[in-house]
Amino acid sequence: MSSSNLYITQDTELSDIVRAYPGSMLFLEHFDIHVPFQTKTVDKICSEHNISSDLFIAFANLYLGKDSYQIPKLRFSDLPAIIRYLHNNHKYYLDEIYPKIQQCIKLIMGLNDLDESKLVEKFFQDYFNEVREHLNYENSVVFPFVTGLYDVFINKIPYRQRNAYSVSEYKDHHSDIEEKLDDLMSLLIKYLPHKNDQQARRELFHLLVELDYDLKVHARIEDLILVPLVEKLEKQLNAKP
Amino acid sequence: MSKVTNIIVVETSSVLYEGLVQVISHAGMPLHIRQAGNIDDAEKFICAKPESLVIVNPAIIQHNVKSFQSLKNNWDKAHWMALVYLHYDQQVLGLFDGIISISDSPGTIISTIKKVLSSKHSQNTYISEDILSEREVEVLQLLAVGLSNKEIADKLSISINTVITHRKNISQKTGIKTVSGLTIYAVVNKYITLESVKPMV
Repeated sequence: MSSSNLYITQDTELSDIVRAYPGSMLFLEHFDIHVPFQTKTVDKICSEHNISSDLFIAFANLYLGKDSYQIPKLRFSDLPAIIRYLHNNHKYYLDEIYPKIQQCIKLIMGLNDLDESKLVEKFFQDYFNEVREHLNYENSVVFPFVTGLYDVFINKIPYRQRNAYSVSEYKDHHSDIEEKLDDLMSLLIKYLPHKNDQQARRELFHLLVELDYDLKVHARIEDLILVPLVEKLEKQLNAKP
Repeated sequence: MSKVTNIIVVETSSVLYEGLVQVISHAGMPLHIRQAGNIDDAEKFICAKPESLVIVNPAIIQHNVKSFQSLKNNWDKAHWMALVYLHYDQQVLGLFDGIISISDSPGTIISTIKKVLSSKHSQNTYISEDILSEREVEVLQLLAVGLSNKEIADKLSISINTVITHRKNISQKTGIKTVSGLTIYAVVNKYITLESVKPMV
């Protein structure tokens, strides 16, 4: 993705972004932005979707792996859009890519009547269960916590820190998930014997790469954008008498 | 002197059977071909000649894939080919070592058959690389059947720290970090049998 070098501003047309970085189509879907884009610019689409263009450009640059990019100061009012994005992102994991991978693994293991087939399927199932648990935890604990905090802020409700939960608690939740996915890729590329399934293997490999990429960006968005912003909000609310 | 190749054609249509016999009798090798109307009859023939080449119309097995798979497992010296004249699911075709279509030219059919006969089963041709030391293999074997670092240390009479060092090296060499991933690695490379893992599955 980084071979292209389009500099994204408020005036960049969406179609140009997708042409330059085909992978960004998925990123846009996470924001509920779908084709056809017509000739809309970043600014136009953002105002249609209630996203600040700063946030959009920050996420886009993270997604496109532009490491040199400095994340701008985001505002508390960006929180609803961030949560919406992460929610959609979870839906994509649970409803789309994981079931696809599962199907692909089933197909390959069905073609190869090998001792380790059952183990590979179980490995993936365990991994998927772990992911699901993590995503459900975010959906049911972290996101409502953030939304509630933002409500307090926006409606100027007197803030008492409830149940002592803080967003800082959920940092470092991602490493184990990434380790297992990495093992699955290593097994596939380096060790699992294969028969007449070259096509299905290539497909599986592409799916794993796509998932791996998206998960890494997802974790960076949470760690670099969501957590610092919420920590700042918590601090501000706690400081008020 | 090449030995006689025993071919069993599992196909109910006599037209197709006779046509196939015509084509492959030009292969220039000693052949013994016979027809079987169903899988059970085929098995009787395979029983007599376990190294047979079995050419199967997938329509006959596609609704009973499980028993076909177990037949294949029981007679693992046989070669299995599909004779297709319809479209089949990749999942069904994947069960065969080779595929011939009735629209293939006689030359293609013969060369596909020869290729299948000369190839060993790919399951047996997977060669492990021996990238691990003997001690690392021992640690891997115990790890894969579910022992903890402490239990491995006791069993091999080494310190826990040494076990941890071995584990680090194993992960570095194989590129696999989780225990369940290493278990699969150990089964693939035949360091342990599936049965020794089974209690955990």
